[in-house]
Parts: sequence; C-alpha cells; structure tokens
Amino acid sequence: MHLVQFSRLEKSVRVKSGTSLLDAARKAGIELNTNCGGEGICGKCAMIIIEGDMRDRITWPFTRRQRDEGYVLACLSHIYNDLSVDIPGIILHGKTAVPLSGDKDDSHVSTDNLLHYKTLPVVQKIYIKLEKPTLFNGQADHQLVSDEVKKRLNIPTMQMGLKIIETLPRVLRNNHYNVTITVGLRRDIAEIMDIEAGNREDSNYMIIVDMGTTTIVAQLVNAHWRSTIDQATCYNSQSVHGSEVTGRMIHAERKGSAVLQEIIVGDINRLIRILTDRNGITPENITAVICSGNTAMEHFLLGLSTSNIRRKPFIPVTVEPPPLRAGEVGLEVNRRGLLYSLPGISGWVGSDLTAGILALQMHRQEGLSLLIDIGTNGEIILGNREWLMAASASAGPALEGASVECGMRAEPGAIEKVTIESGEIQYRTIDGEDPVGICGSGIMDLVSVLLNEKIINRSGLFIDEKRTAILGDTQKRCFYLKKDSIYITEKDLENIITAKAAIFAAVNILMKRLSLKFSDLETIYLAGAFGNYLSIESAVNIGLLPPMTSDKIQFVGNTSLKGAKLAAFYQDAFSELTSIRHMTTYYDLLGADDYVEEFRKAMFLPHTDINYWRTVS
Amino acid sequence: MKIPDVGTTCKMNISTVTIGALKEEGGTRGRKVTIGGECTLPHLTFDGDNPHKPVIAGYVSDIVPDWPDFLQKAIGKEIHSPDEWAQKCVEDFKVDLISIKLLGGSSERANRSPEDCAKLIETLLKAVEVPLIIWGSGDMEKDRLILQECSQAARGENCLLGSATESNYMTMAAICKADKHKLISEAPVDINIGKQVNILLEDAGFNLDDVVMFQTTAALGYGFDYVYTIMERARIAGLQGDKLMARPQLCDIGEEVWRTKEATMGEDILPRWGDVKKRGPMWEAVCAQGYLQAGADLLIMAHPEAIRTVRKFIA
Repeated sequence: MHLVQFSRLEKSVRVKSGTSLLDAARKAGIELNTNCGGEGICGKCAMIIIEGDMRDRITWPFTRRQRDEGYVLACLSHIYNDLSVDIPGIILHGKTAVPLSGDKDDSHVSTDNLLHYKTLPVVQKIYIKLEKPTLFNGQADHQLVSDEVKKRLNIPTMQMGLKIIETLPRVLRNNHYNVTITVGLRRDIAEIMDIEAGNREDSNYMIIVDMGTTTIVAQLVNAHWRSTIDQATCYNSQSVHGSEVTGRMIHAERKGSAVLQEIIVGDINRLIRILTDRNGITPENITAVICSGNTAMEHFLLGLSTSNIRRKPFIPVTVEPPPLRAGEVGLEVNRRGLLYSLPGISGWVGSDLTAGILALQMHRQEGLSLLIDIGTNGEIILGNREWLMAASASAGPALEGASVECGMRAEPGAIEKVTIESGEIQYRTIDGEDPVGICGSGIMDLVSVLLNEKIINRSGLFIDEKRTAILGDTQKRCFYLKKDSIYITEKDLENIITAKAAIFAAVNILMKRLSLKFSDLETIYLAGAFGNYLSIESAVNIGLLPPMTSDKIQFVGNTSLKGAKLAAFYQDAFSELTSIRHMTTYYDLLGADDYVEEFRKAMFLPHTDINYWRTVS
Repeated sequence: MKIPDVGTTCKMNISTVTIGALKEEGGTRGRKVTIGGECTLPHLTFDGDNPHKPVIAGYVSDIVPDWPDFLQKAIGKEIHSPDEWAQKCVEDFKVDLISIKLLGGSSERANRSPEDCAKLIETLLKAVEVPLIIWGSGDMEKDRLILQECSQAARGENCLLGSATESNYMTMAAICKADKHKLISEAPVDINIGKQVNILLEDAGFNLDDVVMFQTTAALGYGFDYVYTIMERARIAGLQGDKLMARPQLCDIGEEVWRTKEATMGEDILPRWGDVKKRGPMWEAVCAQGYLQAGADLLIMAHPEAIRTVRKFIA
C-alpha cells in the first residue's frame, strides 16, 4: 500500500501498488470533471507531483516547463511509491479554485487548449419535460416537440421523419410528456432520430473506429459523460486481398467495391457486437459511429470506387463524405444512427491524419512539430498553426506486428518491451500474461537490443553464431527470445528495416524540401497502434526517428482514434477538421526523385549517415 | 581586371594507404606504393597539390584469361606463367604493383586447392619486388579458405586483399588484421552500400585507414557513367568531411574492358570501327583516364600499350 497525499486539499488515501492516480483521487473523494474517461485525451485530470517518484508518467500534453514542474495526467499515471500531489484549480468539479501553480505560459499542446471545446457531441440525447396540451394551449404533438428542441439547442430548422412522427402520440402520452429526444447533426441540419420514454440522456453511446489497413480498433464511448467504456481490436480481414491498400484496390476493380465493403463492415459489426455484449448495451443505444482511416479504407467502407486513387493524378471520389445513415452501409446500430466519416486530405492522406492533427492540436501550435504515424502506410505531418504539410510512405505492416513471423497486435500476451539487464535479455508482456508473440514496440526494442548486443550487424544480419540458432529443419538462422517458441529471423529483420527506412526517408525528404533541420523542430510525436508502451530510445537507435533528446520526442499512442473521439464529443472540434483539411498540403513522394536514394540510405541501422546519429545522441 | 582566386580548401584529406613492406619493416618488398592523401579533386591544382599520383597495377591471373589473341600476344608467352607474367609487367610494362587473381581456385574452373594458391603467392613474392594485390577466385565459399591461406603465406608483406563485402566482411577483417594486410571494401555500384561496408568493417574493429574502396568497375559503354558518378560523389563526400568515404579508390579496368565487344571484336564483326589492335588498348586507356578524373587512386590494367598511354597521362 502506498500513501498518496493531496496536500492542499488536506486529503490523503492509501492505495495498492499500480493504482492509477485518478482512481486514488476518486477514492479520496476528489471529484474530477474528466471528459474522456481515462484515455489521456481531455487533459482534465492534470496533477502535479510535488514529492515522490512517478515511474511511468506520460508527459503529453504538457509543455516542457510544466513537465519540469511535475505535471502528469492522473488517468495514465500509476502509483508505485508514496506521493504528495497537487491539483491545478481549473479541473476541480464546480467549486473551489485552487490557484494554478506555475504560470500559464505560451503552452502549445497544453491542457488549456483542449478546454476550448465546449460544445455538444455530434449526436445528443436531450431530456424534455413538456407541458400537457390544454384546450387553450393546444399545439400539435410534432410542433410541440420540435419547438422545444429548437429552443433548447438554439437551432432554426429541424427534420423529423414520418416513422418518428407516427410514434409521437403514444410515447408522449404514455410518459406524461417526459421524453428523451435523440438529435443528430448532419452538417447544419439537425435531425430528430429517436424519441424514448423518460430520461435517457446518459445512454448516448457511440462507436469510435480507427480503420487501419492492418488493424482495426473500435471503442465504445458514452457521449453524454464523454467517457470511454471499452475497446476491442481485430486485424483487418481485407488483408486476404492484399496486405497493402493497392492490392485491395486492384481487387475492388476486378470484383467490385461491394466485396471490400462487406468485409470492413463485417469487421466493424463484429467489434460492435463484442463491445455491446461485453458491456450490456443494446446496439439500439448506439447513436453514431465515427470512423477515421486512410482514404482508401473510407472509400471501401462507403462502397466507393478506389480506381482513380491509385492512378495519376490520384483523385479520390470524396475526402469529406457527408454524415450518412449507418444502416445504409450495413452497420448494425440504432436504425437511424449516423455514420460520420471524418474528412481526409487526399487520396493518400486520410482522416486518420486530420484526426491526429486535431488530437495533438498541431494546427494551433506556434512551434514546428512533426507527427509520424506508424501504420502500414507511414504517415507524416509537419507544420504549425500557419501551415501543415503531409506525406505518406508505404512501410508495410512489420511495425504493427504483421509480416514478422512471431509478430502480433498489441494485446494481452504480446511482448511489448525487451531490455537487457546485467547481460540477460529480458522481456515484458502486456498484462503480464504468458508470451504468445511480439508486438510493434517489442519488435523495435528487440532489434535495438540485438544491435547493441552485436547479435546482428547494422545490415540486420546475424553475426553471433553462439547466441543464434537454426530454426527447426529450415536453413534459416534465428534468434530465440523465448526458447523454442518466439523468435526473429533475418527475413523479419529485413521487413522491419524496410518499414522504418520507408518512413524515415519520407520524413527526411519532407524536411529537406522545407529546408528544415531536425533541430528546428520543437516536438516530434510518434503515433501508432502500439499499446501503452514504446521506447523512444529504441526508435532512435534503429533509426526510425532522428537522434534528438528524448524530451523533444513524445509517444502519443493512437491519435487517429483520439482525434475521432474528440470530433465525436465536440461539434466544434468536428468542424475544425474541415479547416485542418484546408490548411494541409499533401506532398506526393511518388514524384520525389530522391526517394529511392533516401530509402537506400535508411536501409541500415540506424542509417548510412551514421555520424549524424553519433554526434547528436 | 584581375581574376579572383577561387581556390577552396576541403575539410578533410583522403586517407593515405601504403601497400608493401620493406625488409626492415618485416617484409621482403624492394619498394612500397603509397596512394591517397588527396586534399582536393583530381586536376584542380589551384586548390592544392595532391601528394600521391595514381598508381597502376599489372593484371596477372593464375590461368590465362579468355582474352583475344592480340592482347595475349602483346603481353607475350609469359602470360602462361604467372610469375613470368608478373616479372614482365614490372620490368617491361613498368607497373607499380601486381594484382594477382586466383581464378583457378574456383570450383567451376581448375578447382585449385587453397594450399596451391598459397604456393603461387609465395612464388610471386620471390619473382617480383613490388607489392601485391591478392584477389580470390570469385567463388564465395572457396575464397574464404583461399584468401586465408594466401594471407598467411604473405604474412607481414602488407599486401592489399580483395575483397570485403556485406556478406564476408567479418572473415576478411579478421584475416587482414591477423596477417597485417590492407583490405579492399567492395560495393555493387551503390554509394550507400559502399559506405555501409565501411561502417560494418569499423564495427568489426577494422581500422578504416587500412581500407581501399572498390565500387566495382564498369567498362566504357557498360555503365561507366554510373560508376564515375558514384566514385566522384564518394570523393566529394570524403573531402567534405565524411570520414567513412575519405578513402582511396580502386578501379579494375583490365578485367572489365577486355570483356567488351568494342575492345575485342575485329572489323569483320564491327565494320568501320577501325583496327581492333589499336582500338582495344585505346578503349582500356580512355576508360582508365576517365576514372582518374572521377578520383581513382589505383588502376588495374592489362594491355602494355594502354598502360604506357595512361602512365604518360599521369606523369
């Protein structure tokens, strides 16, 4: 048990090792008005560590100055020591404002910046208590409801379908005119989607989906509480038609887009079922599905043709699809539930990136920042509040755990961390379960450790016969991380090096085109579906990232999902995506004559320009 | 108007490599050869004086190469005996050192044993007093053994051994360190791999001051411009301070030129191309001179006439 003292509030609590700071605060009776439910996106659970060591503190979204002062996000920080903690005033629920310690400097991605979103979710449930009509005040049912909603939400026009109007007389009268109305926004038009008995405001559930080429992640959220309830992931079943989107586009051209649509919709429906079953929620209560992903995936979801995306001049059908009825594409949620596909940028830079920019607030920062989103297509955003540039590089799925023989997604049992301790190679799995494979972060650590230990050379070939073995009855040499079961081969290493080289080459070219040096950057964000852990040191050591001091590099997790969630929770965040889209310029690497050269240079650990790594690190 | 001085100084000098060891240095050579040390690009004398002139190694192999008659005749009957061929190269063709290729060691050719190859090296060391460049047979597996034996046979002679690639650099580095030889680092017309092999050698504990770079060689008309550009870029990178690229460079001219139809086919096949007896050596000389401009320090050449022409150009 550890003692946690909230000194200024004169409260303290004893908690078990590993408890999150947020839970400890709740246990101490401190109510925090957090919005995201412990996902590290709302930034409202900021706390300051005054005394004691916070081992795994995650530093996003604070400025360096705030980090120096001990700022942490309570939801993502776990307790392993006795602590003394302070809570900045802004986050206290309702009452007493404890003065903010430390001044509010020019903080770019600070918690304050996220607080400017104050509007309602894209779909809301509002509870209305209507006056019973009388002979003297006798409005029609339809107008009675619609006038009240217009007044409450301050919107001029409203749509209501016949199916809903039909049910009004019965629902209103059976419930003494106390009903909950579900209102969805379709651009500027509000639509009454449902009417329910009594107060159902807090059962406004949504599904947030990050549609990756290789991995699909879905979260069940409560839009009323702006909290995350659960998460489920699966590999994208479209992989049978090609591990990269190009192969799938070719397949779609031959067999029709419907084939690929059916698969992605099937995957998402499966995830929705898992999430709703697991949490005892009926799909009828899912009012919206918010999807982000690369442009091709969005096209597949909507059943649109991708033929022109892969042909010069790479034109997609749409980069900003309107909100649609989710049922129209086959998603199994509320039958009037809406599907929001977030706006993307071009045929090769999708809404996963605009969502990433939103999540990190790159479009509001003064300093330059670089976002590297590791996926099957590595995607790169560079810029600040004045301009943003995007590029994408086909990396392959190795860093997501696919195309590596013992690779897997970041889920329980995956080796997520590999270290060397007193000469022994050690590993840690997600949730401490028995190891079944290696996920992306573990793969990067492993390559880094093998390199440092001189088990592989800088070309990714084994050079230590004693510590490697021949794999089964093949001729292949491999390194066993777990005896006789989990290993890595030279072919795996080649796939990993290819992936990191493709991404780094794209980053380097973008920097070159803008005549920027890495030292000009204020922050490098590394995003991707990696789970909760990623070693910046390993990423630099293998040359995925340039050598920079680690306080300039931040691992920010799945920003596609975080951004989509922000857009779902706040209408103004959603509409900001459109302005992000307009201010972002896509730079096409297919037209870069030095791409192959940069790629070859990066096909080495860490890089052929090794002296640069040596001088800086 | 006075013409302004546009001379520049480079950030780094190319490393200097000496091949061959005299008696007092533990070898038996009568003379040594030093290459490298450049402080500017070739011929830019207004920027500085490069201290060592490029050198020419005479091409010798343990079996008679598949060369046209006129070339074999120009070399003479000595071509059938490696030691006599080497002697003739030194005495008559005035080469600075001898490059011996142990082609007969390949299992696809004479399949000579590593021990026989080593004996030949001993014979050559007795036959000539100039330093040796020793190459394997081109048969990867066999060369490990051949070069190990030959290296031991020439221990202390400070030879130049060829070559280290991405796949065999560990063995080559170990052999050369053990027997005190210099090493050729080879790359397949790829500037990045060239640099990577050097990094790997350095990681394996080999001193890059003992390395000569070899970007494979293309004959004139067979990708000459690719190799030229890569050698030039490597040299510029070295002069600008890239320690890994600041190394002398080698070109194997004879091997490549004498495989081309332009250098070997008579007028019966190439009408109006002129007498092949003149055209062949001219092709070799022009190719060699081109590479000198790209920054070559060491040329391996075969035809006496071509050697003479290039020698005049260097002097």
